[in-house]
Amino acid sequence: MITNFQVAYKNLLRKKVRTLLTIIGIALSSWVLVSLLGFNRGYERALNKDIDNMGFQLMIMAKGCPYEAATMMLKGGTGLKYMNKSLIEDVDRQPEVEKTTPILMSAVFDPNKGESGGIAGYFGVEPVSFAAMKTFLSFRQGGWFTDPNAYEVVMGYEAAELEQREVGDMILMPEKNVEFRVVGILNRTGTQDDGTIFAPLGTLQKIFDRPHEITTIGIKVKKGADSAKLEAKLYKLPDVQIVSLQQVKDTIMKLISTAKVMVLSIAVIAILIAMVGVINTILTSVWERMQEIGILKTIGAMPWDIFRLIWTETLILCITGGILGVVFALLLARLTDILIRGVLPYAPGGGLVLIDLRLVLTTLVSIIVIGLFSGIYPAWKAGRIRPLEAIRGDSGR
Amino acid sequence: MSGYAISIETQELTKVYARGNEAVTSVDKVSLRINKGDFVSIIGPSGSGKTTLINLLGCLDNPTSGELCLGDRPIFGKGNNLSERDLTKIRRETFGYIFQNFYLIPTLTVIENVMLPLTFYRKPGTENEPLRLLKLLGMEQRKDHLPAQISGGEMQRVAIARAMVNMPEILLADEPTGNLDTKRSVEIVRVLKELNQTAGLTIIMVTHNNDLAQYADGLFEMRDGRSYEITEKAAGIGSAGAAQINI
Amino acid sequence: MTPALLTYNIFKRGKGFLVLAALTFILLVASSGAVWAAVGCDLNDPDRDVARLFPESTGYKTIYTSIAQKGGEKLLAKIEAGLGDRFHGIYETIDVPYTIYEIYSSKKRIGYIHGVNQKGQYGGIQVFLVLDLEGRIKGFYIQKMTSRHAGKLRDAAFGRQFIGLTIREFTDYDAATGKAGGKIAGIKNPAPEAEADFRAALRAAKKNLVLMDEFVYKAASTGGIQK
Repeated sequence: MITNFQVAYKNLLRKKVRTLLTIIGIALSSWVLVSLLGFNRGYERALNKDIDNMGFQLMIMAKGCPYEAATMMLKGGTGLKYMNKSLIEDVDRQPEVEKTTPILMSAVFDPNKGESGGIAGYFGVEPVSFAAMKTFLSFRQGGWFTDPNAYEVVMGYEAAELEQREVGDMILMPEKNVEFRVVGILNRTGTQDDGTIFAPLGTLQKIFDRPHEITTIGIKVKKGADSAKLEAKLYKLPDVQIVSLQQVKDTIMKLISTAKVMVLSIAVIAILIAMVGVINTILTSVWERMQEIGILKTIGAMPWDIFRLIWTETLILCITGGILGVVFALLLARLTDILIRGVLPYAPGGGLVLIDLRLVLTTLVSIIVIGLFSGIYPAWKAGRIRPLEAIRGDSGR
Repeated sequence: MSGYAISIETQELTKVYARGNEAVTSVDKVSLRINKGDFVSIIGPSGSGKTTLINLLGCLDNPTSGELCLGDRPIFGKGNNLSERDLTKIRRETFGYIFQNFYLIPTLTVIENVMLPLTFYRKPGTENEPLRLLKLLGMEQRKDHLPAQISGGEMQRVAIARAMVNMPEILLADEPTGNLDTKRSVEIVRVLKELNQTAGLTIIMVTHNNDLAQYADGLFEMRDGRSYEITEKAAGIGSAGAAQINI
Repeated sequence: MTPALLTYNIFKRGKGFLVLAALTFILLVASSGAVWAAVGCDLNDPDRDVARLFPESTGYKTIYTSIAQKGGEKLLAKIEAGLGDRFHGIYETIDVPYTIYEIYSSKKRIGYIHGVNQKGQYGGIQVFLVLDLEGRIKGFYIQKMTSRHAGKLRDAAFGRQFIGLTIREFTDYDAATGKAGGKIAGIKNPAPEAEADFRAALRAAKKNLVLMDEFVYKAASTGGIQK
């Protein structure tokens, strides 16, 4: 027997171009919706991951612009000014603080990097306290330096790859002309640590003539502790600023959320426009087929049968367009990622467009529901056609 | 068999249309009776009301007044006021329709067109009807063709098969040969004649072609909304011997 | 029943959507995660660098390839034989991506630029060769090097010693031991204190030529390594 579904989709094939254009309209709106929702989730997740991977929730830096500093931290840049290392003892005394780690960020100019040279950056760290903060760090080869004054380095995955270094090899710090032995190469983390060269804090302080000085204190707050209270206390410390990564994240998310709302509105408008297209296509098709619908009623179709037939056509358009849009979104997720990265002022590492099964189903269900709603009027109109009037419309007798 | 598959009987069936400010009586107090197994032709000039009459008989339209019964079941009149829904139910249980313009669905193949009524309503025992009817009407070889790929005569055969797939009691044919040449017209009417004789199908055919009308056993002529049963077919239209049976 | 006919029948019976849904799901599962690739050797600013290294050029096309892609283990064996040394360490592997710049003057191809990474004493060395259509060196450029004496090895004078050499001359150079014969022996080391980096530069040049021979010149039948 021939099914309702078969009759419906064969009807759609009658005007292939029109059907195709309608489906493309729905597909585009579906693609936009999936990509934008995927971006919303992906961005937040990637940002959280980046911030979690910092290991610290708070950073103390010498006074300067906090957001610029924070962004530079997140991108692996150098700090702006120096603080005395003894400050760390004041911080350690706070009951809310679980762990701290001092960092000295330094940079030298390497004239032999490309045509016009480049900056080579180094992080001076205390391996015990630093590793305690960043528990997810693991080694591809070797391990941390143990002597605080040794001329040894641990390299991030990509830094080592660029320099073709393995454990036991030597590196040379340009400008200062100092040699270090590579004792460890980290596994890839997907953060700025991949491009970082870590050296013992004491060694860098000596090389850069910054005894007892650091650029940053990383702070891990005790679970359940009042982070805001701690921040308030730390603000009282002289000549420093507190960068709460939660605040950084909140600020970035606030900046993004306005864009998110605007962009979601665009997605909703795109869907509404597509649905108007659907209504128009189906209504036109019903109008063109009035006699045929009249005949269907003479051969036994009840109003509900006609309604169901027309509704099925709407459903086919919406499902096909919806799935096509989702497929576009998946295939072009990488491209969308690249485009967004080019546009945003700060883009965290990792995938920015996060599309999972739940999102796909949510989008498809939304499109189908909206589509079915759009299809009600044309289907109802078709169901109400009186057979004789429809047939008479042609004969004119 | 349904309870009223015996005959159609009308009493002073009337249909009046409004045309602007004018009221036009298209069917004027027609009373007739068609028995089960009859093959009846309704003839008449253009505008005589024959199409309106067949539409009323087929429950495609509501009369302005008068009565219509299918067997012993009253449909119109006698205090009855059936909804479009009820009429659709009656139509699909009782009638099959064929039209001048065939009205096959262009996107469905021959066999799919024939099967289409079964999608909406299926009497028990009709599972094999599509193929059987196509065989009977000589269209089995063309079952997978689209309407655009077959001739007018073949399309009308398919329309007949579609009209019969749910084993109707009565087949209504409104100018079934209107779009066919002479040869094909005769073929179609012969097909109807054969169906009437072998399957006992009641057939009511509207035609303006008097020669084709002769194939029927009974003849009604419509003139200005009134119907006259022609008892002597050979006498033709409007001649002496034509008697009005209106009461 | 062919797959096409099967698909048609599935769609004909109205179950096409199930197929579509399954395909979508498979795509979802398949399209996850990033692919981490080994590090390649690209020009920092191709527009600027190509114009500088190949002054006759009007344009260029960038081609990406790797030994894994071009011939796998078999090709690697050929290249190591041509180089006269095994591929070393965790960075000199079969899936390292190579970037070949095809150089054009109007629509006519006139040469190539190709770079390789080589382990130096204190860091990675990036050695680019500018080649004509016969595989002759027209230019020698060290984009990156970490050494106290990098300046001398990156100087144009050092690079000029390579001009006119081909892969044939480099058969006299033993990349494994650093022993040089023929014309290669004539290449002077401007920084004797950086002997390891000098040898690394020579090895890089030979590796560059061997790779180009396999990727480009043999394919275009313009001579090969003399065994």
